[in-house]
Amino acid sequence: MTIDRPVGPPPPFDPELVPALRIINEFLAPDALADPAVLAALNDRPSLMEPPTDEALARDGAFTVEERSVPGPEGAPDVGLLICRPAAAREPVPVLYHTHGGGMVTGNNRMGLPEMLDLAADVGAAVVSVEYRLAPGAPHPGPVEDCYAGLRWTAEHAAELGADPARVIVGGASAGGGLAAALALMARDRGGPALAGQLLLCPMLDDRNDTPSAVQMAGLGVWDRASNGAGWTALLGDARGTDAVSPYAAPARATDLSDLPPAFIDVGSAETFRDEDVAYATRIWQAGGRAELHVWAGGFHGFDMMAPQAAVSQDARAARLHWLRRLLGR
Amino acid sequence: MRDLTVRLDALDPQASAALRVIAYFDDLTAHGATLQAIVRGAAVLAAVPAALVDEARRVRIRVDAQGRTGTPAASPDPAWPSVPAGSAVLWLEHSGPPRPADAMVLERAAAAATAVLDRTRGRADPHDTASVETLLDPASSPQARTTAARRLGLPASARIRAVALHDGTALLRVAADPEDEPAPGTRPAPAAGHVAPAPEGARAGVGPAVDVDGLPDSWEAARTALRLTAEGTPDDPGPRVVHADEAGGLLALARAVGPDSPKIPDVTAVEHAARAAPWVLATLDAVAGASSVRAAAAALRIHHSTLQERLAHAERLIGWSLADTPGRFRLHLALVLRRLHRPPPP
Repeated sequence: MTIDRPVGPPPPFDPELVPALRIINEFLAPDALADPAVLAALNDRPSLMEPPTDEALARDGAFTVEERSVPGPEGAPDVGLLICRPAAAREPVPVLYHTHGGGMVTGNNRMGLPEMLDLAADVGAAVVSVEYRLAPGAPHPGPVEDCYAGLRWTAEHAAELGADPARVIVGGASAGGGLAAALALMARDRGGPALAGQLLLCPMLDDRNDTPSAVQMAGLGVWDRASNGAGWTALLGDARGTDAVSPYAAPARATDLSDLPPAFIDVGSAETFRDEDVAYATRIWQAGGRAELHVWAGGFHGFDMMAPQAAVSQDARAARLHWLRRLLGR
Repeated sequence: MRDLTVRLDALDPQASAALRVIAYFDDLTAHGATLQAIVRGAAVLAAVPAALVDEARRVRIRVDAQGRTGTPAASPDPAWPSVPAGSAVLWLEHSGPPRPADAMVLERAAAAATAVLDRTRGRADPHDTASVETLLDPASSPQARTTAARRLGLPASARIRAVALHDGTALLRVAADPEDEPAPGTRPAPAAGHVAPAPEGARAGVGPAVDVDGLPDSWEAARTALRLTAEGTPDDPGPRVVHADEAGGLLALARAVGPDSPKIPDVTAVEHAARAAPWVLATLDAVAGASSVRAAAAALRIHHSTLQERLAHAERLIGWSLADTPGRFRLHLALVLRRLHRPPPP
């Protein structure tokens, strides 16, 4: 997907998203995370990304909320799992195994969880959200191996969790979408756990960071090319952009996209990841796989989570839910 | 990265709030946002449901603080802050102590909504007299009629009254909903659509509510009803506003009698009596229209015994008794005929 012809101007943002983005950019410039000082400040200011409390996650008793510490990858520390189960469930429930976003460099396993719980509440699923180590403190494969260890534990302990191991869906947004895509590749290549689907929301897939959309959107929106480059460098160091990069770090590097669980991929048309996400869906189809792709016109990165009231955000969330219902036969 | 829900109350509530509100709606306007997006902006920034209703243009939008759309109430609760947005009304469903940001949000959202309404639903020009005249003229072609209705922002389903003012001005009044319109005579129906409201207290004949194609008939009835009006002064007592709907048989009388019709003796007698004393006409008008002498005295603000004396005098002047209903009805007709003999307004 490298550029072989000039790109046009950036596609316009959705009219309703423009004023929201103006306010968001006051707190978070498009290239904010390219600056280590800003990143440090962001990680020190939980007020900007206030994590939901246990009480908020419980949703008036609809979910039970539990923190577990489970074995991590070989030779690595334990991995934290935040487990939210539908309190009223009598039968084994599907599981949304959630990998949070944050460019591989920030965030925690409560970030993006409310959106996952919205989906889970509708289809009667549990959510297990993994607390993986962040780059650059833990470069590749630290983060994705933490996620895989948590996934394997979840599948192996499904009965204990009241979950159905045949209906485990990996999912996440942004870096979390990239991690979820990587988990699907790892589960295929390592013989398990079996996955029922992969929910990839504006996923961060390609360390090369050189698509037309990455170039077009530089300096605009949320998480532009500079931020993205910084995230990938934190994860991969000098290896970023070289042939040495593993598909488990950057799923766009995978040469084989066959035999993957059904994928849902969505992305805004006005964001860095547009082209790599469209390409990923296209390559799944070309490999004979199942994928559903939604490109939301004028959406910036994470628009549906940062400006959830906008009409296009509501439609994006509805499309996700509808896919999940079809997948689970609900 | 996320969870940065955009809400005004989550932001610095003081100086920068105003700038943010201004920038918010300026952005929406500059990027061609829809009416729904503007109402949603108001709801999201104020963190309460917001609604925009323009009955004439069939715009009914309500958005809650989460951005979900729904059906608005017909009109805002009086406790909620609201503002006009052109011919529409915009409100925030917030009761309790007023919040400084609400007025700012409403003002900027209303300006943005007015711009969209004017752009997408036809420009509001209450003085587009050419379009009004086209609609009132029975000779206008259907095509010209359709164009004029669109220019005035009148939907095909609108119910409209023609209003004839005494100075010759023609107005249209949109009857939004039969239930919404106050009974004629209680207070003027709210002006809606792009049509100008009648000036407060203007002397006017009001035609029946019709669809766009029926406006020539409504106009004819309004013009006829106007001839039944009076200045409402002691020299020219009578109603300043007459609704054709309520005039009943007087409308038929008005169509039959004009300035050139011969005057019956009763009219001549009333005119003669009017010249005898300044109080006569007002007294006769009050007695003809009141349920009792006592009520007429109250309307004239004179003592009941004074009225009895004046009445006896007036009866001698006109030549018939006003003590019974037929006598008062005869007087009422004479007064109406007197008005109908005057030259019609321009």
